Amino acid sequence: MSAIYLRRRVTNWVAMGLSMLATLIGLAFLAWILWETLRQGIGALNLKLFTKITANGADGGLANAMVGSLIINFIGIAIATPIGVLAGTWLAEYADRTKLGESIRFLNDILLSAPSIVMGLFVYTIIVLPTTALTHGSTTFSGFAGGVALALIALPVIVRTTDEMLRLVPSTLREAALSLGVPQWKLTLQILIRAARSGIITGVLLALARISGETAPLLFTAFGNNYMAVNPIDKMSSLPQIIYQYANDPGDDMHALAWAGAFVVTMFVLLLSLASRMVLSRTKVSHD
Amino acid sequence: MTDSALATNPAPVAAAAAVAPKLTVRDVHFYYNGFHALKGINMDIPEKKVTSIIGPSGCGKSTLLRIFNRIYAIYPKLEAKGEITLDGENILDPGYSMNRLRGKVGMVFQKPVPFPMTIFENVAYGIRHHEKLSKADMTIRVEQALRSAALWDEVKDKLKQNALGLSGGQQQRLCIARAIALKPEVLLLDEPTSALDPIATSRIEQLVEELKSQFTIVIVTHNMQQAARVSDLTAFMYMGELIEFDGTEKIFTKPGKKQTEDYITGRFG
Repeated sequence: MSAIYLRRRVTNWVAMGLSMLATLIGLAFLAWILWETLRQGIGALNLKLFTKITANGADGGLANAMVGSLIINFIGIAIATPIGVLAGTWLAEYADRTKLGESIRFLNDILLSAPSIVMGLFVYTIIVLPTTALTHGSTTFSGFAGGVALALIALPVIVRTTDEMLRLVPSTLREAALSLGVPQWKLTLQILIRAARSGIITGVLLALARISGETAPLLFTAFGNNYMAVNPIDKMSSLPQIIYQYANDPGDDMHALAWAGAFVVTMFVLLLSLASRMVLSRTKVSHD
Repeated sequence: MTDSALATNPAPVAAAAAVAPKLTVRDVHFYYNGFHALKGINMDIPEKKVTSIIGPSGCGKSTLLRIFNRIYAIYPKLEAKGEITLDGENILDPGYSMNRLRGKVGMVFQKPVPFPMTIFENVAYGIRHHEKLSKADMTIRVEQALRSAALWDEVKDKLKQNALGLSGGQQQRLCIARAIALKPEVLLLDEPTSALDPIATSRIEQLVEELKSQFTIVIVTHNMQQAARVSDLTAFMYMGELIEFDGTEKIFTKPGKKQTEDYITGRFG
């Protein structure tokens, strides 16, 4: 009896030890990344970083890149959210367990794992080239094109989370509403989306976190701009693109700026993830 | 309707003789993706009485209940055949408006499922779909429904709070309020207390007693004592067939069929 008990305890310790070790390895890298970006970028982490633009070079800041990132990300999320939420709703509520629904869900998963540079090239072909031709070269790369490329990356994430969150809503809630004579569209809009609201918001925040760090899709779309640009039809700078550019520069000052930019992006993503966690836990009222 | 179906179920006629039937079920069959779940059910459910349906798990009692408001129809590959008349009209007729049917036949489910909105809105939501009421009238209607569901005193000061903050028993009474707010004629209760504690259960049972003066109530229950306590008539189902349907007292004291007796006395099920 006690031999079995001892063996179970030992097994338990070993399993727990291994899990904790794995967790520690993961966390250690996260801490290391945060520490390294902070250590290398601390020299450039000052007011200038947020007020001066990249045209000033090593003596400047990243203000235009930050503004550009905000605008491009905003455009991306603003395009992807309504389409993604509606598509996810259709998948979960109208096409669940149908062949068409399953096929589209599968295609969405492929889009989810498509290389982001492909999105950039795709948007280059469908937006940048035509606008260049139409405007005879006066509008080529633009913040808008960058936003569309990011929207294509955010879209499948939002479709997937909306779909999954709605399918988590217990079917009894659907039955309860339908048994009042309420039609499907009212049920979906007024009850199900509300019930799944926090999950859907989390999905949007996670999609935003995902696109905030994207560089590749912006190279052929938003291109970059050393001056402050707020009009989406202009070329626009963004943090990941500047980090990429400055990291390739031989100057140490430029490296420090890149690290500081990396720190800002990482913190932004971290805060977004925390915010999405809070949204989820604040409204965690289950139906079970 | 076949002769054999009547011959195996002679009880419904006798049971319903006293009161005019509200719902008449005639030779109803049900198929789950081809599986024959109900096999020729015939019964007359009398008006403004409590009829309970008992039987072991999988006997088809919930299936039968879910045909009465055609809620089964929201899932694919389910099929009901036969005739169920409500006030003389066949509700299984595809032309019978779902909206009208569900306005007339309300349902409360096993687990309390309040909508993710305020207590007031939970009750007002269904009313708003069926009727245009002024704000003042709506307030009165919601209060009436909550009073009928014996919930008013507990929630009158927090109507604007989220319904998910109520206890399980309160949530279930809210669901009853939500159903009766539409002024239905028939109220279907699908194991309404199986997720509740004994005190909340007895409140719901008391409520069923009070509500039967206004509604025809059909309750599916796992709990035989509950059927004995709350219902006027009891139907016993087994393997998709209605074995016996009679006055509750008769079913529980002098059941006509051996299978009913075995189930009541706990020999199986």
